[in-house]
Amino acid sequence: MNGIDTAETGAAVTVTRSRHALTAAGTAAAVVVLAALLGPLVAPASPTAQVGLPFDVPSAAHPLGTDAVGRDVLSRLLHGGRAVVLLAAGATLLASVVGVTLGVLSGLAGRRPGEFVVRVVDVVAVIPGLLVLLVLAAGFPGSDTAILVGVGLVSLPFSVRVMRSATRQVAVRGFVDAARARGDSRWRIVRHDILPNVTGTMLAEAGIRFSAAVHLTATAGFLGLGAGPPTANWGRMVNENTAGIALTVWPVLAPALLLVTFTVSVNLLADDLAARWADR
Amino acid sequence: MNHAALAALAVRRTAAAGLVLVALSVLIFAATEVLPGDAAGTLAGADATEAEREQLRRDLGLDTDPARRYIDWAAAAIRGDLGTGYVGRREVVEVLADRLPNSLVLTTLAMAVAIPVAAAIGLVAGLRAGRRADRAVSTATLVAVGVPEFLVAALLIAVFAAGLGLLPEVSLVPLGGRPWDSPEVLVLPVAALAVAATAAAGRLLRASVADIAATPYVEAARLRGVTGVRLALRHVLPNAAGPAVQVVAVMFAGLVGGAVVVETLFNYPGIGYELQQAVANRDVPMVQGITLAMSATTLTVLLLGDIAHLLLNPALRGRA
Repeated sequence: MNGIDTAETGAAVTVTRSRHALTAAGTAAAVVVLAALLGPLVAPASPTAQVGLPFDVPSAAHPLGTDAVGRDVLSRLLHGGRAVVLLAAGATLLASVVGVTLGVLSGLAGRRPGEFVVRVVDVVAVIPGLLVLLVLAAGFPGSDTAILVGVGLVSLPFSVRVMRSATRQVAVRGFVDAARARGDSRWRIVRHDILPNVTGTMLAEAGIRFSAAVHLTATAGFLGLGAGPPTANWGRMVNENTAGIALTVWPVLAPALLLVTFTVSVNLLADDLAARWADR
Repeated sequence: MNHAALAALAVRRTAAAGLVLVALSVLIFAATEVLPGDAAGTLAGADATEAEREQLRRDLGLDTDPARRYIDWAAAAIRGDLGTGYVGRREVVEVLADRLPNSLVLTTLAMAVAIPVAAAIGLVAGLRAGRRADRAVSTATLVAVGVPEFLVAALLIAVFAAGLGLLPEVSLVPLGGRPWDSPEVLVLPVAALAVAATAAAGRLLRASVADIAATPYVEAARLRGVTGVRLALRHVLPNAAGPAVQVVAVMFAGLVGGAVVVETLFNYPGIGYELQQAVANRDVPMVQGITLAMSATTLTVLLLGDIAHLLLNPALRGRA
């Protein structure tokens, strides 16, 4: 897919944005992450306990009202972000570690073995990421680990390709040949000559992968994949409560707002990180 | 490069796509039936006796060698038999034949909306790379790309169905009927799909157009005084045709995933809705059959896009 590669990495599509927009995006993302991670500690009620009538409007006792089965929306909101944030972060970490390893090794290997690695990981890249998740969820029902591995698997081909091309660009510069001539071991070359020169690409790439991972984990939650009910999950809250949207919008609107804030701000930050790196 | 070489290249790409499909079928089978271990145990329920589990295992053919089972499954699939679903004992192939047209209508309409809009914003932004119009388009599409389809769909439902009461919030289609008999059920699902597709394709096209606009060829045309619509249509668009065809192929692949989400939210009687239901019901043969069909469709579209790209872009023909 020549011609699209540059666009997929985000670098070529990017325009610089104002500092204010980026500060706002950074603050918003940090607030959502904090709410997701610390929320369970401050939630006023249990996220799974039935505390009132279904689809009750906001009141003093339940500031965001109740959901489809009469659970406190605020408490579910404070509990429901952890899965999205942690699964996306875990999947990105997994894809980055494996992707950097395979990418750097295949970049240093000859043309044919290197291309072979790319072809193999590309098998997963040709079908929509959501299909990978659905297949895994059918095999491993109710498993958050399956979601984490699935999202990581979907990210992996991009990670490998980007890291392989970054490694190849470094490898053609003289100092790698010089190190080889000195008789340095392959591991030493990777550690001293390659990795320090591809760190920026690696971080920019991880940022883009993380924003895609958030998108995918939220969608997985919406489709009811991963840890099942009654576990709170922002994506699933939207699905569970859409039927009552005419009675009260909060059970849908509140998780939707948090998800939109998070995906959009992470997207802006990742895009900026990639643009900064492309300018160097 | 002559016709014979081009044909040989097309054949090689087709063979490669076939290999990928075989690899995917192995992965689908392994992930749903082999790796999870005891499928019968899960299906029989926690309170089933060991004898009942054993019986179910035999009934489902799960007591034979996995490699053997895969070969039987794949051989049957080639003959056009994808087995019978656990739920309702429906033939997988019949479900596909019944639901696929509904999904194709949905994705085709979404593309019919998304392609012209994406082409327009791609051209406008790409030709003004770095300027104000470009910044506005790039930011707007970046935001739209970031918002998951189910949230776009939920927003549309909140405004147009629950709020204004203009359109139905579920795509109810009478049994045996077709969605296009009651077109109002198509509006919101198509709109929800088109938003993400337009934004993603618009960004890819903008990048292609910006690259082409920076070439000496377009620079020369500009210096000769060619501007505006004429520059876009006569000089930039023909060169962007190759990448654009691939963008459309990639867009289709994205819509296949999006359709699962949108069909689920609207209860739209398509293949994506069936897949989500099959996953929720642990209906393994149905999941295998539908994902295999979706993978084959996606691969075919990407392959056609790839070949069209080769035909449309002379510069690429030398590189295989």
